[in-house]
Amino acid sequence: MPQIMDKETTHMEKAQQENAASPLVAVEAPVLEVSQLQIFTRQEKQQRPLVHGVSFVIPRGETLALVGESGSGKSVTASAVLGLMSGSLGISNGEIRFRGDNVLDWPNKKRRGLRGREIGFIFQNYQESFTPFITVGKQMNETLRSHEKLTRRQAKVHALEWLEQVGLPAERVYSSYPFQLSGGQLQRAAIAGAMMLQPSLLIADEPTTALDVLSGEKVLDVLASLQKRTGCAVLLISHDLRHVVKRASTIAVMKDGHIVELDTAEHILYHCHHEYTQQLLNARPYIT
Amino acid sequence: MLQLIKKRLIQLVFVLFILSLVIFILMKLAPGDPVLTLLHADEMSITQADEAALREELGFDQPVLVQYGKWMLGLIRLDLGTSYLKGRPVLDELLDKLPATIQLTASGLAVMVAIALPLGLIASRYPNRWPDHVSRILALVGASIPSFWMGLLLIYLFSLKLGWLPTSGKGSFAHMILPSITLGFAMAAVYARLLRSGLLDSLSQDYIKAARARGLAERRILMGHALRAALLPVITVFGVSFGNLLAGSVVIETLFAWPGLGSLALEAIFERDYPIIQGYVLATGLFVVVVNLLVDLSYSLLDPRIRLGKGASS
Repeated sequence: MPQIMDKETTHMEKAQQENAASPLVAVEAPVLEVSQLQIFTRQEKQQRPLVHGVSFVIPRGETLALVGESGSGKSVTASAVLGLMSGSLGISNGEIRFRGDNVLDWPNKKRRGLRGREIGFIFQNYQESFTPFITVGKQMNETLRSHEKLTRRQAKVHALEWLEQVGLPAERVYSSYPFQLSGGQLQRAAIAGAMMLQPSLLIADEPTTALDVLSGEKVLDVLASLQKRTGCAVLLISHDLRHVVKRASTIAVMKDGHIVELDTAEHILYHCHHEYTQQLLNARPYIT
Repeated sequence: MLQLIKKRLIQLVFVLFILSLVIFILMKLAPGDPVLTLLHADEMSITQADEAALREELGFDQPVLVQYGKWMLGLIRLDLGTSYLKGRPVLDELLDKLPATIQLTASGLAVMVAIALPLGLIASRYPNRWPDHVSRILALVGASIPSFWMGLLLIYLFSLKLGWLPTSGKGSFAHMILPSITLGFAMAAVYARLLRSGLLDSLSQDYIKAARARGLAERRILMGHALRAALLPVITVFGVSFGNLLAGSVVIETLFAWPGLGSLALEAIFERDYPIIQGYVLATGLFVVVVNLLVDLSYSLLDPRIRLGKGASS
């Protein structure tokens, strides 16, 4: 798809120019840099903190796994990065830097331009990744044409290409309604949809939790291979340390709105310090 | 799809048959005597012989079952009988008035959509904020005001005081405005609220969040994704209440002297013109069944899960 490639290169050039213009940023800024992010929830005029100053960095091509039990604030953090927090939540402090820019300062419309284009998102609830009464292809087409100047036909060619890349029978899936596909197929179609604009960041919120183990592994394999090809950064959210240990380069363990431990996957596996991480590791079934 | 239509058409025959039976029996049970009405219309002295002759002419001397059988036989040949009063075939009478009623109903529906759609959209955009409250109050007003009174108020204001629009009758576009607004406003109230709750429901679905995550414009999400799901309950209620719409149009046609089916039926009721009444009720029944068939078909257009005969596999 030449249009998309062109845009990609101009984008890169622009980023490089910006970097060159600023003496402070000597190297390429990391794709995502969250620092001291604090999120609160409003309950009858009372503000209750949910996330207490979370910080992490994901460079290009790396995978950071955010692991924790439900309610630890990992999904909220992800939706804050995406800019789609529910109305009762607010950010009281901190920065979310996307390729060096603090997106919290951006107007809504500009942030919308990021979603789908520069930040892809994969949901746990794959049934609802696509609107149930519109064909998968139509929705991929719609997404492509929302971000790029393409004709319907060009967009279709592009979407089919990506459906093939995730190992699906492209033509059939393209013209199928979401309910006509199996869970694994649908999740892979969702990945194709999220990756087809070659975003620099992919957020996967428990992408395999609702799938059976084999489909889940297949989905993660597809993710890994696409990441290798496009060089995007991945924020992988999971409650299951066993899943992410071999998939992520860095792991951040979250509990009650704090990151209690952040280290490389190897270090976490063998030299973790925090007792909660130890518990999580022990909860992992061993196959001997 | 074809299967559904076929099933519905067979159903239609049964519904109409039962309807015809009920109408016929009710007509016979209803107080009043068309013979006397007809004879009194001439303002002459009536003898018993005159009365008996007319009864025989109209077939009233025969058993009710025979009368029904004759009517039924005519019905099969699309012969609905002859109007007692006007001496014209009922079918011709109905077909003469049908276009006016369709025109009124269609423009009433257009007014309804023109009010309900924006009102519902705005109310769902700002739930429990002032646009929502305004729409709630409007809905309450619209649902509470009887349509005849609303019509009278409109006539008073726009025809008598301001002199902008004609009070009654049919003819130019201006004649259509007041009856359409009267008909549409009352309906709009209900549908605006229905649309609001449908939209609030569909906007809270995960697939809407997914659409936002794909970076679609909010307008596109609303019109292309949320609205379509929100239309299902609206259409359901529309199908169920279509009978009410026709009933409402009787009142409004009478009020505005609109020469449609409704005023024809009302006139026939006053004059005990049985064949016309029977024909009108049958026609109404036919419309209701056909509209409900269209409603069912629109379901499968809006939601492919119904068309393809498979529920969400969750």
